[in-house]
Amino acid sequence: MNEFLEQFLIESRDLVAQGTDDLMALAENPSDRERLDGAFRAFHTLKGAAGIVEFGAMTRTLHAAEDILASLRSSEEPINPDTLDEFLTCLDLTSRWLDAMQSAGEAPSTAEADADNMIARLVGSRGAAEVAHASAPGDDTWVGRLSVAAGSHFTEYRTALRYIPSPDAFFQGLDPMNVVAALPHLMTVDVVLTDPDVSLETMNTFNCSLEIVALMEAAGEQVRAALLNVPGKVEVRELASTAIRQSEEVQTNARSLIEAQLLVLQQSDVDRSVGRRASAGRTAVNALLYLGRSELAANVELAIATTKAENSPDPLIAAIEQALSGTGQPERHNNSPTAPVVPRALRVDMDRIDALVKLAGELIVVKNAIGHAAKLVHENEDPRAVIATLREQHALFERLATELQSAVLRIRVLPLRSVFRRFPRLVREIAVSVGKTVRFITEGESTEADATIVDALFEPLLHVLRNAVDHGIEPPEQRASAGKPAMGTLILRARRDADTVTIEVEDDGGGINVDRVRAVARARGIATAESLTAMSDAEATGLVFAAGFSTASTVTDLSGRGVGMDSVRTAVERLGGKVTLESQAGTGTKVGLMLPFSLMMTRLMTVEVAGQAFGLPLDNVVETTIVPRDRIVPIGAGRAFVLRDQTIPLIDLADTLGIQRTDTLSRSPAKVVIASAAGQIGAIEVDRLGERMDVMLTPMEGLLNGMKGVSGTTLLGDGRVLIVLDVEEILS
Amino acid sequence: MTIVLHDANTIRLIGTCPADDGEVLLQHLLANPQAEVDWRGCESAHAAVIQVILVSRRPLRGPPAGPFLERLIEPALRRAGCQVPPSPRGPEVRKR
Repeated sequence: MNEFLEQFLIESRDLVAQGTDDLMALAENPSDRERLDGAFRAFHTLKGAAGIVEFGAMTRTLHAAEDILASLRSSEEPINPDTLDEFLTCLDLTSRWLDAMQSAGEAPSTAEADADNMIARLVGSRGAAEVAHASAPGDDTWVGRLSVAAGSHFTEYRTALRYIPSPDAFFQGLDPMNVVAALPHLMTVDVVLTDPDVSLETMNTFNCSLEIVALMEAAGEQVRAALLNVPGKVEVRELASTAIRQSEEVQTNARSLIEAQLLVLQQSDVDRSVGRRASAGRTAVNALLYLGRSELAANVELAIATTKAENSPDPLIAAIEQALSGTGQPERHNNSPTAPVVPRALRVDMDRIDALVKLAGELIVVKNAIGHAAKLVHENEDPRAVIATLREQHALFERLATELQSAVLRIRVLPLRSVFRRFPRLVREIAVSVGKTVRFITEGESTEADATIVDALFEPLLHVLRNAVDHGIEPPEQRASAGKPAMGTLILRARRDADTVTIEVEDDGGGINVDRVRAVARARGIATAESLTAMSDAEATGLVFAAGFSTASTVTDLSGRGVGMDSVRTAVERLGGKVTLESQAGTGTKVGLMLPFSLMMTRLMTVEVAGQAFGLPLDNVVETTIVPRDRIVPIGAGRAFVLRDQTIPLIDLADTLGIQRTDTLSRSPAKVVIASAAGQIGAIEVDRLGERMDVMLTPMEGLLNGMKGVSGTTLLGDGRVLIVLDVEEILS
Repeated sequence: MTIVLHDANTIRLIGTCPADDGEVLLQHLLANPQAEVDWRGCESAHAAVIQVILVSRRPLRGPPAGPFLERLIEPALRRAGCQVPPSPRGPEVRKR
């Protein structure tokens, strides 16, 4: 990626964040003119930036938004919340474009279509109000005139326009003909003079006295979007009957056609239906194209090829089913980023860089001092004096290294605000879509965490919040009968505890129904009846994290598609964190995400086996102990011992790693590390317990990437490579 | 020149006619009360020019060269009362 584009991405992200902040503040206080000005500036600058990198779709979209913001600035009217929502959606879209540009280096191919859609929405959100007072009662003759002009085709058109340019339009450099020519899907135009009595002798050619009416086969929003900046009197009339025909009848027909193809595919027998499958697929593709869902059609088209290659109708059936569920919700909100977390440039406070520069300078002083000490040794100086110097410099060096480490860590740190601020609007949207009202509170937005963690948190958090709104908070009637306020409360809270960042999502909903969880877990084969009865309520509640668990009896758009809390758990564990769940029937649920503050440093404990050192992550180590040999008993194929009334399986690290012991220490008591990972506990027998250290772990790469039981390596002080073990894999 | 007085009976619109041509056309029309307008060479015309044609209601010889003018504006002018004599279509007429 070139530097220019990189700069554009950094700046644009900042501007999106700034704009979002201003808009959110406006939502709280619609009369805050300063925030309105701020939002306007953000959109304006963003538009300019997009223009510089020649990202046409983005320029266009932001220009439309900017125009509306400008008119809002000049009017005294309070801002309509719908319009505000569209501005936020617009920034969301921009953000997705930026993500796509980041990963692909260019604007996504769907940008133009997305832009059209967004502009239509922006204009539509405002147009509704405008049209209401623009289409003053009375004068409808122009529509009649158009119907004559269009003849028998009149009913096929969707939008009628009456456009009276202002008399000084020509002076303003405007050509109303160009305006009309640029209208989308223009079908018929009629031009008349506003003053029918004017003659060549009396006319002023510099005064515009035209009235133009036109019919278009385009949606009203599209037409309004095209006329956004046009001065003069503009009246857009959607021809209702045809609009309904388009949206309902056509949709229903096309859907039933697609459903019929699905039936064909499900019934057709395997060997003689290759052709039939393909034709059913093609029909579905055409129906989707007719509905204007080209992206879904493309998916189905791909699936046709897969079906052919695999000689199985399943991929095609799946694709069509997906398309069908997609056609039901024409305005899909895809809030998840298009690409997985991509490393991106970071904006860093100048102070933090200055701290690094200062540290670098001090380190050079230490380097020189060590060089000086070496020279003293070379000149046969008294070794004791040299040792004192070296010790002193080592202490200094250690301090500086620690400072350097924390200074570097601070560079990678971001406040959680950058992810939290996206949620208030999303939560509101989710709540509206399931017919609930939710008060959403965020606390501790300024808590900081490693940028990688902050970036990766959006999706899991959104999932937890969705669950809370969709399943946690009860419908208003139910809340009322339980004596709760009709409006639910949802709190998103963050705090830092030492090296851990804790994020909690708390709702005051109905809590998790443990009996339902048990029943579902049994029905889905997640746990056996016996183990379920043995489980405590808390343990049973924890089953919602099991893969394939989803308790919602009705699958909603939001959650309950079978990728429930287990995806949250996986995402958080991938970041080295863990998830907790507290739930109380009737009063609410609290989901906690415990994450490491930084991904860079790992605390280790070294152990030695057969003369070789290994590292164990300290997070996994519960305790170290010495167990007499006679307390170790063989159980099945393995061994175990009892510690404080708990039976703990014992694993010999040398055996597990396949290392041959040269000497047998079997008579002395066993040194063991008791470790836990993923809820399992086990004891690892080692020859010697080593020291603790903080290291930067290098993950395995290339051929060693898939090696079991190893999570990475680091270098020891004497230059040896320390292999760091993956306790979870060793225990399992 | 985009507006040319061909002879006392024909005023030709050629190429792209800007806003100022409105006044030029008006002067030609006033000076030649019998002249008809021939816009077969006209690619596009500013609304100011269309407005003068509309006011004049002179016979309009077409079709114009620009597709927008031909498909949408000529029919509109005809409906508004301009006389648009049917004219043979051929390459020699649609000079560009």
